[in-house]
Amino acid sequence: MDLDWSPEEEAFRQEVREFIAKELTDEVKGSMFINTPERVAFVDKMVERGWLGLGFPEEYGGSPSPFPLAQFILNTELERVNAPIVGKNVGTIANTIFHEASEEMKREFLPKIFRNEGQWSITYTEPGAGTDIGSLQTRAVDKGDHFEVTGTKIFITSAHFARWHWMAVRTDPDARKHQGISILIVDTDAEGISVSPMYCIGTTTAERTNEVVFDKVKVPKSRLVGDLNKGFYYMMQALDYERFAIIAAAQHTRRFYTILKYLKGLNYAGDRPLYDDPSVRRKIGRMATRIEVGNMIERLCICVAADRVPSAEAAMNKAWGSCMQDEVCQLAQEIMGPFGFLAHGAEHAGLDGYIVEEGLMAGHCKVAAAGVDVAKSIVAKRMLGLPNALGKPELPSRS
Amino acid sequence: MHMKLTDEQVQLQDGARRFMDEQCTMEFVRQMEASELGFSREMWKRMAELGWLGIDLPVDLGGLGLGTLNLTILMRELGRHICPSPFLSTAVIAGDAIARAGTEEQRAQYIPQIVDGETVIAFAYQEFSRSFDPGVIVVEARPSEEGYLLNGTKMFVEYAAAADRLLVVARTSESAPSRRGLTMFLVDARTDGISFTHTPTMARDRHYEVAFRDVHVARETVLGRVDDAWTDLEPVLHKAALAFAAFTNGASFQLHEQSTQFARQRVQFGRPIGQLQTIQGYLAQLIMEILGSDTLTLFTAFNMDRGRHVRGYVAKAKAFSAETVARTMDIGSQIFGGMGYMEEVDSSLYLRRGKQYELMLGGTDYWYDVAAEEVIDVDEPVQLT
Repeated sequence: MDLDWSPEEEAFRQEVREFIAKELTDEVKGSMFINTPERVAFVDKMVERGWLGLGFPEEYGGSPSPFPLAQFILNTELERVNAPIVGKNVGTIANTIFHEASEEMKREFLPKIFRNEGQWSITYTEPGAGTDIGSLQTRAVDKGDHFEVTGTKIFITSAHFARWHWMAVRTDPDARKHQGISILIVDTDAEGISVSPMYCIGTTTAERTNEVVFDKVKVPKSRLVGDLNKGFYYMMQALDYERFAIIAAAQHTRRFYTILKYLKGLNYAGDRPLYDDPSVRRKIGRMATRIEVGNMIERLCICVAADRVPSAEAAMNKAWGSCMQDEVCQLAQEIMGPFGFLAHGAEHAGLDGYIVEEGLMAGHCKVAAAGVDVAKSIVAKRMLGLPNALGKPELPSRS
Repeated sequence: MHMKLTDEQVQLQDGARRFMDEQCTMEFVRQMEASELGFSREMWKRMAELGWLGIDLPVDLGGLGLGTLNLTILMRELGRHICPSPFLSTAVIAGDAIARAGTEEQRAQYIPQIVDGETVIAFAYQEFSRSFDPGVIVVEARPSEEGYLLNGTKMFVEYAAAADRLLVVARTSESAPSRRGLTMFLVDARTDGISFTHTPTMARDRHYEVAFRDVHVARETVLGRVDDAWTDLEPVLHKAALAFAAFTNGASFQLHEQSTQFARQRVQFGRPIGQLQTIQGYLAQLIMEILGSDTLTLFTAFNMDRGRHVRGYVAKAKAFSAETVARTMDIGSQIFGGMGYMEEVDSSLYLRRGKQYELMLGGTDYWYDVAAEEVIDVDEPVQLT
């Protein structure tokens, strides 16, 4: 058992910290939904260092890394300071392209991803296919030299600024439902696509996601990712990766300490300092513990990641980690009493409304990339060997 | 960065599991529950022969000096079998306290005895208070001509009646709630004026109230600093808390495995109950907590062995293992349905212990307070990467 990072890994962490100290400004920090010019500029600086392609071969524009956890260390350090992380473009899309797609597609898209040229939209969910993503109905009909795509997708977060849809479609309506799905890359400006906004719950920033309607959209055959009808397998494999790498536990530690510091300075009229109250202290001690447990579950993922993609471990990371934002915000609000519901604009709003805002958005973390209950079912099935509760067949095998 | 055990650790773990599988059956545990002593002197001897009693004691005095991480690996196996023994109070608390704070004479006298399984030492610390904080201690040790005069009552002293010696923490100066003014004594349990009253417990282990009435003890029984026991004792209790956390994690793992096994086999409504999403949610939530607790314990032990500041981590590990064991025994038992609450079923032994373990060696209140001190009362909380 060796739970220390290697000297090389520590040196890389130091390099990242120095980069952040130099490049990170307040305008860059912020939410995962907003793609401001400042954030893009910050990411471009990471591109210069080759950090988006960490661990990928040079021939595709990547930067080979001597240790597999370089990208994880990078994301952890970025999360610690609320900077943009290396997210789904690399975690889901580049990984899948690298492992599954044709040589031609690798050469076309991997360098673009590693240079942060153009954003991507993950386009899976449909009104009738959320958790049960295998039930998706958007059809891609084979028209000889192209596919014709028709259907409706919702919760497509980046659709209004992305350049490509990374899209799951049904290519074989007669096969068993998980075995008739494929992944296509679709230009967002293709004819027949319409985007309308759906606004997320919140009180200030009105973050948005989208509904996207595809009406007989032509997609060249060359935009099929990997093999026909293997899409469900690719999606599931990429989700394992996302549940680990993109939900870095450092964000929960950071949020906890930010709120902790704020609460420390609070002193409402007539009250003792908050941290003189034993019941408040115990709640803080307990929350610190739960955050640490999240770090440990993440550590389990880290420890297996050197050998294989974490699977049940990643689902645990998702199920536990995604509850932490909610728990931290709720605890802060509970401690603040009625001040806890004051929103941005009110004089005494917690962290100028941040606590309310983060609390409202916390639910999003719990339902994204498989809800908490679904993640638990994955743990039950893959780790505990319990029978499938969701009525789905096992994943189609890779061969 | 990996969690694979070394060959030596695998040997330790597998050897312990084999021994426990053979010797510490549930039938044995039931026998011990019904016995006067509460543990088996024969097993105690065997543990000594295996080297376990000196696992983390100094090599120059016969111990193996294997460190906290290996101690937790061993304790996890004992906990899997809810092994009744005075291991924690003798080999961990007393052993470590003597190794850290003892004089050359005390170390040379007692540590080989502990390692060889020739002595049992009980830890007389808690009193008539719900708090685990040392500040509440009022048992008094007043200086006398030949040494000290002990008066007062200790509570929750495991295996006291079987012990050769008691490690007593008593007040020599100042007054409650000060953590200062305390002194440790290593007292012969047969000294005049000491009496034991058995207090039945839900785990049916052997807990005692120990009364001291004008007990004369020599100056030589003082262990460590006079009036400042807490400086010596706090790190001892931190190691013990981690060891106990590992023990309870072992118990949690074991009952969880049994419940999962049962859920796979038990058919209701024409299908295994393990196919019901509610049951899956229970078992998945528990295994996350158990693995989280286990990793936190091992991680803390690993860092403790490297001399890092782990006070907050110890507190988190102990508190979370306590919450987890209580919840695992509660929910794990529910999965067995009505049978989970029958005397005849082995899982009920775990159920009775789960709640008790939660409350032993400091409940969650105490350890969450310590965890809070480490994040609230410092400028930069220690966050180990």
